[in-house]
Amino acid sequence: MTGAANGEVFSFAGVTGGYGATTVVRGVHGAIAAGEACCVLGRNGVGKTTLMRLLTGHLLLRSGTVRLAGQPLDGLAPDERHRLGLVYCPQDRPVFDNLSVRDNLTLMGPIDAGRHAPLLAAFPVLEARMAQSSGTLSGGERKLLSFVRGIAEPGRLLLLDEPSEGVQQENVERMAGFLREAKAAGRALLVVEQNLAFARDIADRVIVMDRGEVVLAGSAAEIDEDTLAAHLQV
Amino acid sequence: MDPILTTNILNVVYEVSTLAVVVLGLAVVFGLLNVMNLAHGEFVMIGAYCAFFVQTQDLPFLAAVPLALLVCGFIGLVVERILVRPLYARPFDTLLATWGLSMLLREAVEAIYGRGFRSVATPLTGSVDVLGAGYPAYRLLLTAVSIALVAGLVWWFVQSATGRRIRAVVNNPELAGSVGIPVTALARNTFVFGCCLAALAGVMLAPLLPVNPTLGLDFILKSFFVLVVGGLGSLVGLISGAGVIGGVESVVSAVSDRTWGYSTVLVIAILFLWLRPNGLFPRT
Repeated sequence: MTGAANGEVFSFAGVTGGYGATTVVRGVHGAIAAGEACCVLGRNGVGKTTLMRLLTGHLLLRSGTVRLAGQPLDGLAPDERHRLGLVYCPQDRPVFDNLSVRDNLTLMGPIDAGRHAPLLAAFPVLEARMAQSSGTLSGGERKLLSFVRGIAEPGRLLLLDEPSEGVQQENVERMAGFLREAKAAGRALLVVEQNLAFARDIADRVIVMDRGEVVLAGSAAEIDEDTLAAHLQV
Repeated sequence: MDPILTTNILNVVYEVSTLAVVVLGLAVVFGLLNVMNLAHGEFVMIGAYCAFFVQTQDLPFLAAVPLALLVCGFIGLVVERILVRPLYARPFDTLLATWGLSMLLREAVEAIYGRGFRSVATPLTGSVDVLGAGYPAYRLLLTAVSIALVAGLVWWFVQSATGRRIRAVVNNPELAGSVGIPVTALARNTFVFGCCLAALAGVMLAPLLPVNPTLGLDFILKSFFVLVVGGLGSLVGLISGAGVIGGVESVVSAVSDRTWGYSTVLVIAILFLWLRPNGLFPRT
């Protein structure tokens, strides 16, 4: 498969789908190589989360293809995609709020000293509440917990839907640090963001969506602030 | 203590604990799959017939346990695959489908064994003296086994990795798949497990019941009442629901007769549906 040969971890083309008879996302395409971050930008309601749900197998594609390391993901359930290395941190309800913080992190395996320890050290707010029900966390703290859960998983592809939403600025900066480390380790990132500064901080590529379609795509260095701002204006 | 009072208390405990075993299977399946298995009572019935079959083959009573688990586990596996899975997220359709299944299973058993009542010999005869009251030994054993079974399952559910994953799926099915929980397999196993639990209850209760094809109807109705009263939220709700339904029925039956016992339970269930439809411990 050519995609894999080019170092592309993840690629999707012609992605179309939605809810019931309504098509929300139309013909969206993109590709991410190992060690690269792609940010999906766009105003509220343009289909960014729907795109993520289509890519992760929570919604069925009406048409299009999604490939992970060259392998088509058609018809695979979310847990099967996870086994192939696709890690997903959703925007809404990012944690199991009936389980403790610790249980959220150890649901599929024990705490890993190498992977969890630096994350918990960086986010003491979670470390201090390991035994507490995650339902007692604030919205931003839940996003943080979801982020820690996802980035500690070994999968080669990380899909994050608005990871910085509601998170304190200092923690957003730490998140960006961990994402840069993940890139350095060769992982591929697809991040939906509203926080432009955060996106600028981590993105190698940018996809801008409007009304379910890609209206601008390219390398982050090439797209200047004004063009981007023009697209994101309400 | 007054022996009659002692006997009545033991009857209530017996009624509540055995009912809790039947409802537990139904509730776990509903919690995880959102499927109200109206054929749950028929799995109890098939379990009871397994005990009868074992008796006709001159095998020891306990041989009915693996037989019932195999038969009901297998039926559960097939039913989950061809009936329940295609209808996930369509609660009304699963109600109809499992109701149809319950009729099918009743008719199938009737075709083999006929409508008549069969009796299964009690494997443990005699009575035990409890605080001056003579109480049937088998009932006592059954109460102890039921309490141990429910307590063991609750303990397992609370502390095991699989129990945590089941709670995770109940809380947030979408996220559960994405963190790698094999949701489909877990749902299948849970459904089969619920059927097996009903089968086990059927074997245990067989010596105390007139074994006949319609035996399951009584159980599904009572189980449903338990969930109406207790709410679908938690094990606490399940046990308190079983306490209310099983307790009220056996107390009213003791001071009056079974018809009044049953009517009172029905009235309580109606009142709950009317005034407190989410039960004592609603799902949050």
